[in-house]
Amino acid sequence: MADRDRLTIELWILRYRPAQDEEPHFVSYTVTYTEEMSVLEALQSIKDEQDGSLSFRWSCRMAICGSCGMMIDGTPKLACSTFLRDLAPGPVKIAPLENFPIERDLVVTVADFVKKIESIYPFIMPKETKPVEAGEYLQTPAQMAAYEPFSDCINCMLCYAACPQFGANPDFIGPGAMALLQRYNGDSRDAGSRERLDLIHGEDGVWSCTAVGLCSEACPKLVDPANAVNQNKTNSAFDFFLRGLRKENHS
Amino acid sequence: MDHFDTDILILGAGGAGLRAAIAAAEAAPDQRVALVSKVYPMRSHTVAAEGGSAGVVQAHDTLDDHFNDTVSGGDWLCEQDVVEYFVSHCTREMIQLEHWGCPWSRKPDGHVNVRAFGGMKIERTWFAADRSGFHILHTLFQTSTKYKSIERFDEYFCVDLLVENGRAQGAVLLCLATGEFCAITARAVVLATGGAGRVFRQNTNGGIVTGDGMALAFRHGVPLRDMEFVQYHPTCMPGSGVLFTEGCRGEGAFLLNKDGYRYLQDYGLGPAEPQPRNKYMELGPRDRLSQAFWQEERKGRTVTTPQGEAAVLLDLRHLGRKRIEERLPLICELARHFMGIDPVDTPIPVRPAVHYTMGGILVGIDTASPLPGLYAAGECSSIGIHGANRLGSNSLAELSVFGRVAGEQAAAFAKGAAAAEIPALLDRARAAEARALGLLNGKGGGERHSVLRKEMADSLEKGCGIYRLGDEMQQACDRLADLRHRYDGITIDDKSRAWNTDWISALELGYQLDVAQAMAHSAIARKESRGAHQRLDGYTQRDDANYLRHSLAHYRKGASPEISYSPVTITRSPPGQRAYGALGEQLEHARKEATHG
Amino acid sequence: MSERRPYVRRQSRLWWASRTYRGYTLRELSGVGVAVYGAVLLAGLDSVRRGPDAYAAFVGWLSTPVAIVLHLVLLAAMLLHGLTWFQTLPKTMPRLIVGGQAVPQKTITNAAIGLAMLCSLALVIGALS
Ligand SMILES: Cc1cc2nc3c(=O)[nH]c(=O)nc-3n(C[C@H](O)[C@H](O)[C@H](O)COP(=O)(O)OP(=O)(O)OC[C@H]3O[C@@H](n4cnc5c(N)ncnc54)[C@H](O)[C@@H]3O)c2cc1C
Ligand code: SF4
Ligand code: FES
Repeated sequence: MADRDRLTIELWILRYRPAQDEEPHFVSYTVTYTEEMSVLEALQSIKDEQDGSLSFRWSCRMAICGSCGMMIDGTPKLACSTFLRDLAPGPVKIAPLENFPIERDLVVTVADFVKKIESIYPFIMPKETKPVEAGEYLQTPAQMAAYEPFSDCINCMLCYAACPQFGANPDFIGPGAMALLQRYNGDSRDAGSRERLDLIHGEDGVWSCTAVGLCSEACPKLVDPANAVNQNKTNSAFDFFLRGLRKENHS
Repeated sequence: MDHFDTDILILGAGGAGLRAAIAAAEAAPDQRVALVSKVYPMRSHTVAAEGGSAGVVQAHDTLDDHFNDTVSGGDWLCEQDVVEYFVSHCTREMIQLEHWGCPWSRKPDGHVNVRAFGGMKIERTWFAADRSGFHILHTLFQTSTKYKSIERFDEYFCVDLLVENGRAQGAVLLCLATGEFCAITARAVVLATGGAGRVFRQNTNGGIVTGDGMALAFRHGVPLRDMEFVQYHPTCMPGSGVLFTEGCRGEGAFLLNKDGYRYLQDYGLGPAEPQPRNKYMELGPRDRLSQAFWQEERKGRTVTTPQGEAAVLLDLRHLGRKRIEERLPLICELARHFMGIDPVDTPIPVRPAVHYTMGGILVGIDTASPLPGLYAAGECSSIGIHGANRLGSNSLAELSVFGRVAGEQAAAFAKGAAAAEIPALLDRARAAEARALGLLNGKGGGERHSVLRKEMADSLEKGCGIYRLGDEMQQACDRLADLRHRYDGITIDDKSRAWNTDWISALELGYQLDVAQAMAHSAIARKESRGAHQRLDGYTQRDDANYLRHSLAHYRKGASPEISYSPVTITRSPPGQRAYGALGEQLEHARKEATHG
Repeated sequence: MSERRPYVRRQSRLWWASRTYRGYTLRELSGVGVAVYGAVLLAGLDSVRRGPDAYAAFVGWLSTPVAIVLHLVLLAAMLLHGLTWFQTLPKTMPRLIVGGQAVPQKTITNAAIGLAMLCSLALVIGALS
């Protein structure tokens, strides 16, 4: 027990400081760790005790705020719920999330992702508006089950880091935003599917996806974003076809 | 320095800030709203709330019951007019959230379901599995994107408020990505910056919960009210402090000591029945449960975790796999992943950790602070509904109810207010920038802020924990004064500007020290025991004659805060004995008889 | 001018060859196998059109070692592709809710594979009888 408490592990951390570095490079740190220590706690101990200049995002420590995504030994993970005991003996390679520009150290650019979320009308467009006084909309557990998993997305962007097509085309709307889109399209209270579908027809929409499927494997919340994307390829294709038919009817 | 002018400035984009922004945008579509947050809105700590949010819906429940639970739960230190307004607006807000898409858990017939929560007589906690705060926050964030008048400043850190001519008129922000400053001038300012639990060592709070807004208002002369009341949550992960929601107990979990005994029955919460009744046993209020843990630990009846922490056991086994996995998925994930324990067949070791700051920025029922133009809502504020102890699920409801009020009030104030006095404000902004840069570039004496932070957290935990002693509180006060002093001489390793989290943490520590001082000094001045403030040094009883009053901490530059008191508004519930379990029921019965007879 | 200077990492041109994407790359390659087999079938059909001599030559080629090895490889590719196809299937359809609960994706995949095997079996039996 006493021995186990004094284990050490080496972390290779990709560092990039725009004020002084031309490009990112790995720096090695060694930390003492215990059984239950997460990668996030290791980074915190480095920052507190060895090198205050190491930058990374974190907050909740419980895998719900979505801040702490990073590449850990090449796989996108939440640092707060990845444990050193599973990575021992090391050395462990830690890098910022793949496919995103690096702002500094383990901090990547999030703004473009948030813009994608905002672009897909991420709110209920009600079928029938009713005043609050009239009470809640009814929704059975089965109706909820149709969209609920998609609403569990914590916006951690791990799925984007796992997606080679996003790597090739940064404008691809990508798995996380599509999960959110499907969360609303699948909601029995919503009537905005048409408008949302119009946003995703092109190459930057669903059609960049080649069904690699690793996004769903990377997802820490079992959201299954690949399902959201691929369902909407079907929807997009149908819509395209139906639209053609409708046009012919008009002429 | 960049400068933006706006009408309504909202600092903080958690539940309260987002709700305020939406309310302002709806109340005054022609006004511009600037919404500032040091993290992306969906990272705000509201995201971590698990259990749920209160609102009376069941036919056999009444607003009176919610009122009484809240006021007695707060040990009568509540503003009763505010509580009355609060309970009568909760349900409306919960339905509003439903209309915006919040996936509340449902009954088979499609109506919203409610669960039991500690200290609540009747089930009235709306929940979205055990991710209630997460869903509320994401729903509010996503809905807020609908309003074109809301302009967000994500990952901007507020370093100071801009106050001119006795009126709050803006703030100075540090852009994390660039390390450059900007000033926002406004006609009205809302603070919604959340709590301050990180000043303690073991806590359930996220890293960003550092009391920034409290300290900002405090430094500009707004009193912090009731800061001695800090809530310990009884069921947290030993070591990290990560929370296991009260929803566990709402679903029927037991708390056992090392002998497998439901020890709460020894502390006036019994009788122990297989299915705990509301306000009995495991469904008692948080302060009582945390205190009972403390006693058990003294009696040597707790278990010891591998990390060497004392703990009791949260037992879910009798609920069965299906119910546990369906109602408490996050709890399963936390226990399995973080502790390697499957709650389906093993009880989870838990212990109390700091969870919530009942006190905060003094505001009235309209969320206005004494500083004209400054409003506050959410955990950073003290509007008076929580008193000496908050009931679980009243806080998420508070965000919604008073977030809306703050947005509407700020919009109304902005409409009538004169334009911001820009040149004078920009001078102040430059001064604030110089101060922040001084901290960054100052040579200092070589001490790191992480050392100070640790000492602060240790001393508060020791001096202002579950039970308090005069001399220990005094030590905490002295220690904090010393830390305040040493803070002026810290050295920051990192001198760069872009994404300098070393610098941000140091700025946050400055806020934390102010808040910690307000807590410790308010605590030592209150010579009684009430709610979450329990003393063992001769002041073990509640003392209504002298202390049925709110404490107010006033900032003094370079010195410790001054404490004064203000009266409590009592409209219809005279202070009574606060009791739970069988005794609680007897007393309530007697009270009812008295009012009916 | 601020210090900010986001660093963009270039995606490697050989990303598909990395271990992470091996499964995907194999699946896509097996697609080529399916296409090749389609071409073989088409060639067979074409030989029928061109007359009995051509058809006999085609059948003769089928029994050469090269053709047998090729068919084994193509069979493996077909099986792999079929399997991954069925694994992808549940990802392309809306969540199937039965009795208020979502049907697990594995169940859908297994059911589809079962169905495909039944059909193949029926075909084989039909062809033999
Ligand atoms: C683990 C946990 C579980 C909980 N469960 C429940 C529950 O079940 N029911 C319940 O009713 N309550 C619960 N609570 C309490 C409740 O969640 C919080 O009180 C509430 O969410 C606080 O919301 P807020 O909007 O006031 O602040 P927060 O959500 O903390 O938001 C604060 C905002 O202010 C911003 N900010 C802070 N400082 C600055 C600065 N200097 N510059 C710029 N921006 C800044 C932050 O970025 C953030 O956007 C729980 C709390 C915790 C910790
Ligand atoms: S879908 Fe999953 S991996 Fe992608 S952002 Fe959401 S939670 Fe993260
Ligand atoms: S710190 Fe919040 S998800 Fe890891």
